[in-house]
Amino acid sequence: MAVPYAWRAARVTPLGELHTPPRMTAALLRLAVQVVLVASLWHGLYAHTGTTAGMTRDQAVTYAVLAVLASRLRELDQYAARDTVIQHMHFGTIVYWYLRPLSPQRYYALRALGEQLYGLAWALAGFAICLAAGVVQPPGSAAVAGVFGLSLLLGQWILYYVMLAIDQLCFFTLRNNAAMLILIFAQNLLSGVYAPLWFFPDWFVTLSGFLPFQATLSVPLSLYVGRIPLSDAGPALLVQAAWVVVLALFTRLVWRLAARQVISQGG
Amino acid sequence: MPLKAVRLAWRITRLNFRAQLEYRSEFLMMIAIGAVWQVSVIVFATVLLTRFSGMGGWDSSDVLLIPATRMLAHGLFVLFLGRMHGIGYFIQEGKIDVCLVRPMPVHLQVQLRMFPTNAIGDLTVAVALMVGALSRSHLDWTAGRTSYLIVAVLGGMLLEAALFTAVASAALRFPAADYWGRWLEELLGTFGSYPLNVLPKAVGGLLTYGLPLAFVAYFPAAVLTGHGHDTGVPYWLAAASPLLGLLAYAGSRLLWRWSLGHYTGVNG
Repeated sequence: MAVPYAWRAARVTPLGELHTPPRMTAALLRLAVQVVLVASLWHGLYAHTGTTAGMTRDQAVTYAVLAVLASRLRELDQYAARDTVIQHMHFGTIVYWYLRPLSPQRYYALRALGEQLYGLAWALAGFAICLAAGVVQPPGSAAVAGVFGLSLLLGQWILYYVMLAIDQLCFFTLRNNAAMLILIFAQNLLSGVYAPLWFFPDWFVTLSGFLPFQATLSVPLSLYVGRIPLSDAGPALLVQAAWVVVLALFTRLVWRLAARQVISQGG
Repeated sequence: MPLKAVRLAWRITRLNFRAQLEYRSEFLMMIAIGAVWQVSVIVFATVLLTRFSGMGGWDSSDVLLIPATRMLAHGLFVLFLGRMHGIGYFIQEGKIDVCLVRPMPVHLQVQLRMFPTNAIGDLTVAVALMVGALSRSHLDWTAGRTSYLIVAVLGGMLLEAALFTAVASAALRFPAADYWGRWLEELLGTFGSYPLNVLPKAVGGLLTYGLPLAFVAYFPAAVLTGHGHDTGVPYWLAAASPLLGLLAYAGSRLLWRWSLGHYTGVNG
């Protein structure tokens, strides 16, 4: 497919956001307040404690703030664009995804890529400000930064497939609101957004190891703050890559099954 | 509300409940999501309480009373007054215009537009947490203290309803205001469940006077557990939290009525 066409599809969401200044202002304010609140909370919790669960105050604050910034990567108002799978299923317009000269899976992937790049711009800007203000610690070395970047990329890739799988559910159940909420909950809890997984009991950490969520955020952030040493980065990255492959194959299969469910108006 | 209106509201609610049952798996998952969403708050609070000895000078049994009060207030809000949350799309799609021409108050129509299945899960977990918090509590639960707790839960429900009604009023003019509702829900869930004195004073002040989140559960729990003088606000103000909820809700309903009077819709 020609690059210009891919670019046009990918930029739909960012352009939509750039043309709605109130939403961008709200996102900016929300992100700033959330970072301040989260940093304040962890500073307050560590006020009378040195190291807890092997994490120092600086590690915990850095982890928590980076988790907030990373959540911006996929935190767009998806419904505002009126282009979610559930909306198309509801209004019967999903059939048009199958009538274009661009396959639904390719279109979905390009839109998601645009969204995540737009979110990345927000996260990077926030990271630069937090780093300059001393809210977060810089990575331990250039090698740590590189491994973190790779791990974050793999994590976002996994998250894309997880979100896709939930959207694909619409083809079979017509509704996915509850599934989406459960996914967001599972993602926040099991990837360490609420609190770093290192604070949870051992059985919980073991359980989360069998699920893809911890690979989306907990692994890259643990690499960044040094809770996973560079010597152990290889196996962690391999597990992430394995999840990418497994979920890619699974969602590819579901796309095929989903296509059989779509009927145009009139049958 | 006249008896006829109550009967009508009950009939609509029954129909809405049956409509929710149309999609069985979605119905069951909505109950589950209400429950797991609240469990996440418990997990977070438990992890913090386990890893950090005492929060802001409160012992764990006292701290538990905060999420229990907030969750119960939230569950009741979702069940009775929660449809104001997420009304942006309802307005954006012009559905509110239909309500304007029906012989029933628009606010009531909005509240009756669907049955909140997730409230079943919310309330189940909230009641369980409240029972757990009360059984672990070392306080003497006199009639006065129990009555204050009940009033505090109702006040918390009204205060949360007031905040979402204010956002809904703004959404009548700017449908994108719905975005603020989702943020509000996140803030209430994240920062409404533990002692705010663990935060720096400026941040605690923001969550007290900027966004009155502290009045939902933190202040009432502080008054009940004897921490009422250490909250950073006058004791009488902390103790008056339930009354503030009532006043805020009355004010938000006035704001809703005024906003509805100025609603122009897509056709002016």
